Amino acid sequence: MRRRVFHLGCLLACLGLAVSGIAQQGHPLTGTWNGDWGTTPTQRTQLTVVMNWDGKAVNTVINPGPNSAPGMVTVDVVTWMVHIEGDLKDSSGKTVHVVADGKLEDLGNYHRTIEGTWRQGGATGNFKLTRD
Amino acid sequence: MRYPKALGLAILVLAAPAWGQRAKSAAYDSSQKVKFSGIVTRIDWVNPGAFFFVNVKDSIGTVENWAVEFGNPLDLEKDGWKSTSLHIGDAVNVEGSPARGPARQALATSVILAKTGAKLFVPSNKPVAKLASQPAPRWPNGHVRLGPPPGKKGYWGTPSSTVLVEETGTKIPMNRDGLLANIEDADKVAPFQPWAKAVYEYRQRTLFKDDPYNRCMPPGGVRHFQSPYGFQFVEQPDIDRILILIGGGDRNWRTIYTDGRPVGHKDELVLTYYGTSTGHWDGDTLIVETVGFNEKFWFTNGGLPHTEALHLTERFTRPDLGTLKYQVTVDDPQTYTRPWTGGWTIRWVPDEEIQEYFCEENAESTFVR
Repeated sequence: MRRRVFHLGCLLACLGLAVSGIAQQGHPLTGTWNGDWGTTPTQRTQLTVVMNWDGKAVNTVINPGPNSAPGMVTVDVVTWMVHIEGDLKDSSGKTVHVVADGKLEDLGNYHRTIEGTWRQGGATGNFKLTRD
Repeated sequence: MRYPKALGLAILVLAAPAWGQRAKSAAYDSSQKVKFSGIVTRIDWVNPGAFFFVNVKDSIGTVENWAVEFGNPLDLEKDGWKSTSLHIGDAVNVEGSPARGPARQALATSVILAKTGAKLFVPSNKPVAKLASQPAPRWPNGHVRLGPPPGKKGYWGTPSSTVLVEETGTKIPMNRDGLLANIEDADKVAPFQPWAKAVYEYRQRTLFKDDPYNRCMPPGGVRHFQSPYGFQFVEQPDIDRILILIGGGDRNWRTIYTDGRPVGHKDELVLTYYGTSTGHWDGDTLIVETVGFNEKFWFTNGGLPHTEALHLTERFTRPDLGTLKYQVTVDDPQTYTRPWTGGWTIRWVPDEEIQEYFCEENAESTFVR
């Protein structure tokens, strides 16, 4: 039993390290980004943003699934400031406009991040997305 | 309690390949010099870089152990050096470039045996065999052979350039890793889209610290033709394919199909480091189209980015026994504003074979300290 636990541990360590070593090296925004936004440190709403550079624009889906919303993303490649816009549905099904501005950090890291301000409807908070 | 310790060791060992074959510009600061004397405590005659370790005593008697990289064993052996050219317990005087960061590590430019004054691990500078006057070997059907002449050995070795830049006739100062002498020259390297230029400059400014090749990921794209330790064509006309055995990097191979199949489209292919290649002959030139690259690697030294849309058209011409002309057209409309072309020549190494090389061989022993 102990040996099995050891082998499983080694396998998980290998897999973890393997993943950390395989980074997406193309357009820095391409990929799936997970994180949250909120108006306070405790009131947070989970976020998933999927972005894909097609050569002219960053095609974006916010929260893929039944309540997904197309997004519009632009990036200033001098400052690496990322601008996100989209129309999400809130818990009552009402459409709310989202505008977010954040800075892309640690460009070469597989788990790079975008962090900044998230404005949704009348609320303003912060957000952080980490590339999966 | 035994198992967590073992697991910790496993993690250290597995984490080590992250340092496997770092570009010298990323690992060492050639603008700085370090000089020390000490006693050899260990010798690691392994790839990609051989190391010895030296106990160095300072003026107040404190001993620090330095790691000294002094060459690749394959190159050293070609120059007549052996692992026994130096012994544990020998006193040596070392000069070199220090590692970037706090590690007590240096890349040696001079190693002198204190007892005799003998200079160790000096390249032999053997004259290069003149092969240009001999014609390229051919198959019975008249096609140029890309491998050795019948009954002979050999492989393709030293490239004339280890960087890929657009052929414009302008010389762009950069080192062998593709590190620009002047970052303002970035625009001259390739017709980048704005995001790609910004990524290229970031990689240059950060001295290629994120290069997947440093972590022993495969040298896909054109990079296996820039890597040390050569490559070999294995032509298999009976099954309509050509294999390229890659001596450097992660010791891998690439397949070029010559059975007339269409190039294909990336959306229909499993995306890989070497892509899917189809080839055909146009006179004495092998033309190879490759698509289906993933985005997990840098396709050339120097940090030029690409996307899954990358399409390479390579032209291989062997004008004589000793020369392979390599030209590649890069077409990636998601990264570059237009297709562009670069290339170099590669020298034939006669009567030798690719040596065993594994990029991560010394990672654990050297860098987990």
